[in-house]
Amino acid sequence: MRETYGKLLPGMRLADLPGKLIVIEGTDGAGRTTQIDLLKPWLEELGHAVVDTGMTRSPLAGDGIRRAKEGNNLGRVTQALFYATDFVDRLENEIVPALRAGFIVLTDRYIYSLMARAIVRGMDPRWIRSIYSVALKPDAVFYLRIGIDQLLPRVVFSRGFDYWESGMDLFPGHDMFDSFCNYQNALLTEFDRLSSEFNFKMIDAAADARTVCAQLKQNILQLLERDSRKTFLARLENTVAAHPAMPQEKPLVRAPNPADAGLFTMANTVTAPSLNRNGNGHHATHHR
Amino acid sequence: MDIASGLRIGPFEVLNPLQPAVSRARRYGEHRCPGRLIVVEGIDGSGKSTQLSLLHKWLVAKGYGVVFSEWNSSPLVKDTTKHGKKKKMLTPATFSLIHSTDFADRTERSILPLLKAGAVVLCDRYIYTAFARDVARGMDREWVRELYGFAVKPTIAFYFRVPLETAIDRLLDGRDGFKFYEAGMDLNLAEDSVESFRLFQGRILSEYDKMIPEFGLTVVDATLPIEVQQAQVRQIVKSHLDKASELRVQA
Repeated sequence: MRETYGKLLPGMRLADLPGKLIVIEGTDGAGRTTQIDLLKPWLEELGHAVVDTGMTRSPLAGDGIRRAKEGNNLGRVTQALFYATDFVDRLENEIVPALRAGFIVLTDRYIYSLMARAIVRGMDPRWIRSIYSVALKPDAVFYLRIGIDQLLPRVVFSRGFDYWESGMDLFPGHDMFDSFCNYQNALLTEFDRLSSEFNFKMIDAAADARTVCAQLKQNILQLLERDSRKTFLARLENTVAAHPAMPQEKPLVRAPNPADAGLFTMANTVTAPSLNRNGNGHHATHHR
Repeated sequence: MDIASGLRIGPFEVLNPLQPAVSRARRYGEHRCPGRLIVVEGIDGSGKSTQLSLLHKWLVAKGYGVVFSEWNSSPLVKDTTKHGKKKKMLTPATFSLIHSTDFADRTERSILPLLKAGAVVLCDRYIYTAFARDVARGMDREWVRELYGFAVKPTIAFYFRVPLETAIDRLLDGRDGFKFYEAGMDLNLAEDSVESFRLFQGRILSEYDKMIPEFGLTVVDATLPIEVQQAQVRQIVKSHLDKASELRVQA
């Protein structure tokens, strides 16, 4: 069963969320969006239904945040809470329903970016963790890590320096370059700290996009394979428990629930285990 | 008065943004600003706004610099809240978060600077409203208290206590029925808005009662005549202003 980081929102059921929650994290310019754009069609080709989501995309608070960021008067606590509102709206109305329907949810950033930004802005780490204790624990967090030296050329030669990505709200009066370096370095430090706490899978994002993508795909395949075997075996046990008189030579080939079919893409690598009499389908050879 | 020396407001360190506060900030920190923060609390129909408005007139007449801050009034946030309410897209969690966002903006841009400037800040509803409503909607009590950890502790928090039926009678005199979220219709407690209001506000009342000892709320019997309540309120406020030599007094 799925878990949260400690607190449960009213009305949220953690059972029956068969989808996968995959997080792509990283600082600004690490290439998260590029990777998600590559991963989504690939997963769909493999037969998985995919939903992608990211910051400020909530119907509730997205526009409000964008409007607030246009001005010069969005305070730090306000900013942190506005983003939390956006996050929880998407968690409840987008992420959880998609997981329930068996989708793979690819999320461009998750609570970790939001925590890092808030902590760098001086919020108490325990305060911000407490707010996000309602978040679901994802199935995997891929952290696209890139140092400031590799990041700078990307920023200079693509979109230029952005007010918020440069942390100009923190360093008014500095020029954008100095502010950018200070701010992104502070974020990197914080991300590294979060990395061990939340078990990030680190990916070197200084490499070219194709290499990064290959690594991500490999990791995601492993995750899906592992879980499809687990689900497969669990389902066999359930089926046998429900039909104790089932002849043991009858092959079990298909998941009964089409919503979960996406998880079985890799199942052809698993030979259906034969079952012993007492309905215990464990076979050591099929576990790994 | 030592405002300049690293004032901490709840979880956030004002003067040292790149040094995360490692130790936990004391919740609802006593502000060390020269101003005074006076808040009124109570369910709809308790008469708290009437009392606050009378207090306002009295303070102005006395020459104090007085400023109002109303619940749900941040220019940055209130459109989002309105949008969410109109489309009925708020869940207990997002209802809670968007109100805390509004409150944060007012704290950062209005309440705190005004207190530093030596004003008397009057708040119609404060964090206790959020605690009562959000918990009545099923949010975790501890989570909501933590959420508002950045709030400034008020100088005085009046709680206008009134029986549910009295409040409903007062409210229904002026209009017929209640608004969707006001009546807690999002919780599907009852089909009828008056009945839903009764059930929802009943939960809120019981949360308020728990908060009286927890936060040291100053209880005013809101069934008493308006004048009697106001006399009590002024007397209590006066005792907190007498020692206030640093308050800015209008010319």
